[in-house]
Amino acid sequence: MSLGEYLVKNWDRLLELTVEHAVIVLIALAIATVVGVTVGIATYRTQRPSKIALAVAGIFLTIPSFALFGLLIAPLGLGAKPAIVALVLYALLPILRNTIAGLRAVDPAVVESAQGMGMGRWQRLVRIELPLAWPIVITGVRVSAMITVGIAAIAAVINGPGLGKDIFRALARVGTPTAVSQALSATLGIIAIGILLDVGFLLLGKLTTSRGIRD
Amino acid sequence: MAVDTSVAGSAPADITAPTAQDADPLGGGMSLRAKLATPAVFAGVCVALYAWVQGRELDSIEQRVVNADFIVERLLQHLQLTAASTLLVIAIAVPLGILLTRAGARSITPPLIGAANIGQAVPSIGVLVLLALWWTIGFRPAVVALVAYSILPVLRNTMVGLQQVDRSTIDAGRGMGMTKRQVLRRIELPLAVPVILAGVRTALVINVGTATLATFVNAGGLGDVINNGLVQNRFTVIVVGSVLTAVLALFIDYLGGLVEDLLRPKGL
Repeated sequence: MSLGEYLVKNWDRLLELTVEHAVIVLIALAIATVVGVTVGIATYRTQRPSKIALAVAGIFLTIPSFALFGLLIAPLGLGAKPAIVALVLYALLPILRNTIAGLRAVDPAVVESAQGMGMGRWQRLVRIELPLAWPIVITGVRVSAMITVGIAAIAAVINGPGLGKDIFRALARVGTPTAVSQALSATLGIIAIGILLDVGFLLLGKLTTSRGIRD
Repeated sequence: MAVDTSVAGSAPADITAPTAQDADPLGGGMSLRAKLATPAVFAGVCVALYAWVQGRELDSIEQRVVNADFIVERLLQHLQLTAASTLLVIAIAVPLGILLTRAGARSITPPLIGAANIGQAVPSIGVLVLLALWWTIGFRPAVVALVAYSILPVLRNTMVGLQQVDRSTIDAGRGMGMTKRQVLRRIELPLAVPVILAGVRTALVINVGTATLATFVNAGGLGDVINNGLVQNRFTVIVVGSVLTAVLALFIDYLGGLVEDLLRPKGL
């Protein structure tokens, strides 16, 4: 069966898997952004804690995904939960690193003048530092999106949701007429999600950047 | 640290790019204490794992996988996959990167770097399974998939590394009477080495991780152990496979960091 025929016949199911795939990636990114930005804010002023936080996030990213999924079965069982947790761990480093880099890149003179205007530490952070660092933070999220979209495919080995299911189903049916179309459509679907997210986060970054520093 | 080399001196836009640094927790800034303590931690984890397994009653299915012969064989396969694919990546990507940064080919760089970023979204398991379906199973498709998956970071870092070399340094070399080839060999490449090495280390980490999936195309590796545990529903086997794989990947990354430090040209 050609890829075209296969797509027409399985459109509904593919769409459903694609949505599942995109949803777990977006959930993981949302959690990773909250965690990464919070840890970044808590550590960017200091050398040692920020280094330790980055090292830990780096270790998560270095652990092979298959192994991390395997390790998470023990505490979390099978399914979407361990899949999302693993994706969060993989997404942390780029977000954390860019949060720290972005906050450190804010001109101290700007922060001082905000202090001179009577802003407290919290106000300076929320109204001056974070908006100035935001373009760099959101590019970190964009990088994380690319990493997690691909890794999410492996979640299928622990019964996670998404297009990875079709890749493994195809593998189990080597030699049948639909196997190649099934694996190919799932792989292309994942790449399509990647491209959409890449463009989406680029636009979101432009839209959410403070008007004063837009180019 | 790998990341710093490519970010330093460039616009914040560069921070956006997924780079070498992504996999670099223990990079060049490693203190002597960290250098010595890290392998001790890995050894400690392995000893703890061994003690834990010893304390458990293994049934016959578990014994078939959790034994020295089975694991060492898978470990060697894993290392072969990693080494072969990383060497191939270096042999292909570095010359190609040099070629693509010569005058005349420069306009290719921005789209290629964009492709490298999105290329990360290509699922490694998809590439692996497609190669198995289209071609064959075993060692060869596994290595081809690993190469395809890890070539972009090295290519990208080779190009970025060569392009960040200060134009005036190159002009100075030309002014001293060096040929273009001499400028490349004696000025551009040495100055680009730290960035290229960072890319190679990223590729190495990607390869050691992706080689875990080689089990799905019958190419062995430590993924065999994890997969055995999953298929037979044996918790002990899953833990042994996962912990060993994780320790191996972290150890290879650590070694990569040491080599990166050693090979960095003096004076940089």
